Amino acid sequence: MNDPQPVRTGPSTVNRRKFLTAAGAGVAGGSLLTMLEARQAPAQIKGTTLRILQWSHFIPAYDAWYDKFAKEWGEKNGVKVRVDHIPHLDIPARMAAEFAAGAGHDIIYNGSSILTRLYYKNLVDLTDISDAAAKKYGGWIPAARSLVEVEGRWYGLPIFYILAPMLYRKDLFDANNLKYPDTWELARVAARTLKPKGHPTGIALSQCADANLFWRSMFWSFGGTEATPSGDQPTIDSKELREFLKFAKALFEEGMTPEVFSWDDASDNRYLASGIACWVHDAISAYRTTEDTNPPVFANTFLGLEPQGLPGKRVSCAAPNVWMVWKFSKNQQAAKEWLAYLIDNDLEGMTQSRGYNMPYLNDRYKKPMPVIGTDPKLQILQDFPKIVAFYGQPGPSTTPIQEIVNTFVFPDMITKFCRGMAMEDAVKWGAGEYRRIYAKYKQA
Amino acid sequence: MTASSSRGGPEAASPRAAAVSIAVRARPRRWFSSQTSRRLAFGYLLLAPAVLYVLLLVGAPFLFSLFLALSDASVADTTASFVGLENFRAAFESDVFYIALRNSIGFTVVAAIFKGLLGTSLAFLLLQPFWGRKFIRGLVVIPFTLPISISVLGWKWMYDSQFSVINWFLSRIGVIGTYGSAGWPVWLGEPHLALLACIMVNVWRNFPFSAIVLLAGFTSVPTEILDAARVDGTSFFQRFRHVVVPMIAPILLIGFLFDTVFTLSDLGVVYLLTQGGPANATKILPVLAYQVGIQAGALGRGAAIALFLFPLLLPLMILMLRNLKRREY
Repeated sequence: MNDPQPVRTGPSTVNRRKFLTAAGAGVAGGSLLTMLEARQAPAQIKGTTLRILQWSHFIPAYDAWYDKFAKEWGEKNGVKVRVDHIPHLDIPARMAAEFAAGAGHDIIYNGSSILTRLYYKNLVDLTDISDAAAKKYGGWIPAARSLVEVEGRWYGLPIFYILAPMLYRKDLFDANNLKYPDTWELARVAARTLKPKGHPTGIALSQCADANLFWRSMFWSFGGTEATPSGDQPTIDSKELREFLKFAKALFEEGMTPEVFSWDDASDNRYLASGIACWVHDAISAYRTTEDTNPPVFANTFLGLEPQGLPGKRVSCAAPNVWMVWKFSKNQQAAKEWLAYLIDNDLEGMTQSRGYNMPYLNDRYKKPMPVIGTDPKLQILQDFPKIVAFYGQPGPSTTPIQEIVNTFVFPDMITKFCRGMAMEDAVKWGAGEYRRIYAKYKQA
Repeated sequence: MTASSSRGGPEAASPRAAAVSIAVRARPRRWFSSQTSRRLAFGYLLLAPAVLYVLLLVGAPFLFSLFLALSDASVADTTASFVGLENFRAAFESDVFYIALRNSIGFTVVAAIFKGLLGTSLAFLLLQPFWGRKFIRGLVVIPFTLPISISVLGWKWMYDSQFSVINWFLSRIGVIGTYGSAGWPVWLGEPHLALLACIMVNVWRNFPFSAIVLLAGFTSVPTEILDAARVDGTSFFQRFRHVVVPMIAPILLIGFLFDTVFTLSDLGVVYLLTQGGPANATKILPVLAYQVGIQAGALGRGAAIALFLFPLLLPLMILMLRNLKRREY
């Protein structure tokens, strides 16, 4: 038996400067954590200005609440808060411009297209806030990590996501002895039965966010994946993709009209509200639009969980929303304080958005949740967090995936097939685009 | 007078004279001493602001986009490495690029034809004397002056698959089928219709500009010449073809040049109406460049796609400007 070897230690690398830096960081971090814990804003942020770039929410009342809420927080803490609202599609361009200029807002919002991985080197590490929130509220739902985590650190703070359940006309289903659409096959049967009676269904097959989201839900529920769990390789070209495409085309031919090729994100809302659709797969904005514009149809509109593709397999591709703080921000401390405060009040945000904003923190799912927990039709939304996933699943939302999403490769592949292209040609085209885009980033 | 000077020979070098002569020889000959040089310098001085303006606002961005196209620039990185023609090769590898290129050319050519026809007709109409002419002339430029987002949103509603006012009108007068039937056009859903719909909006927005340019040209043609042609027994089209067009050709060419550049680089209409869908049927180069370069963050590849507009426009520009110059002499 050999004698234990002494552990070789290198020469001490701690000099005075490093010691002071480490000690300073420790004190500052400790103070921030203590303040976060106590929900007490530090005196240093008094007299500063915080600039927030926010999207224009689909629910205008939410924006009004948010602006007021932010202003009140600012007044309480001596911070002048300015909130700017722009359409969510303009955010990537605005982000690029602000980064190039090295100036702009302190806090920037990302919706649907999450650019954390693209910009993370220029974003403030928000791990301290996310850890504190996780500790306080029972941890994050599993999918949250994929949006903002890069090399073990969180460069964004997930604030809410938008669900897309099944919204179906119970009166039409009952009148035709159709079963509740708990599987995609049952949804297809319903569409096939009701289309000849003037009630087709529809999922956008155009270049819009809905097309990117909802067809992915179906594909993933059929067992398909877009990338490896590490996110470095595409896995789109698969047996599952072919099965899904076969199903998607059948659903389109039997239950939809060519209108879906022209739809934007609000078209299915109008389709349901007009009383035409037998079911749509959409955010609850469709439900709210119907409530506001067509009460008789609203009375017969019910919500269902994400349908199963394979037995027991439900995956719901949701639209994520994330906050980030620029590294060039001169008011990072106030930005972090505000975000921590916002996370503490995300249930209020959910209420103000009429149940639209779904939280990412586990403890927020204690039933009954605000708005959706008290409306019997919406209660089913409380069961979604376990099946929620985001672009790129089971991998993270990588930069190649964002390009694939932004250039609509996935819905275009389905469109090509539904328009008559041979399945293998459509797959060849789609998988080819995935491979080409991944290769570009690998090369870079 | 010295003896030598009286003989016509060189003056005797007195110390004073020598000093003067040296001083004259030492004076540097200034390059702007002549009248011509001074006029030239003044001309360049007057030209300098325009040259500076072009260099700063056109030359610098062009060179910068060229640099981006030859680099691996990303929206999220302040540094970039030279990658040669890699971004151009990447564009050629994608069939979406070829679709966008084809659509861009088709979009520009078809829109130019319609804008030419409608613009000419409108210009002739506005040339006629009628009550309220000035007011009507002001009204026709409204599509051109409206913010693009508002006007395109209006068109989006008119093209809506379910609530299209165009379809409901055509259906009511029996031209197309009823909603839900095969004869109900889905304007933004059928590939050719969608491209046509985008072209229609571009034509609607910009043909008043063509009309105004043409109107300015028509009003500059002396009535005596037209009267003389009329006396010679020429028809309306003969006067237009052989008198008006040659006289206003420089204005026509400049107008055409502007319109071509505006149409080829028109991002707004397609982006707001279809985002390039369905299945890239309406994708044009500016939309593809925006999606790849800004939304996806691959600035280098986006710049390379956008730069393809340059070789498309360059020969056209050269031809037109040469034609214009020939006409000046």
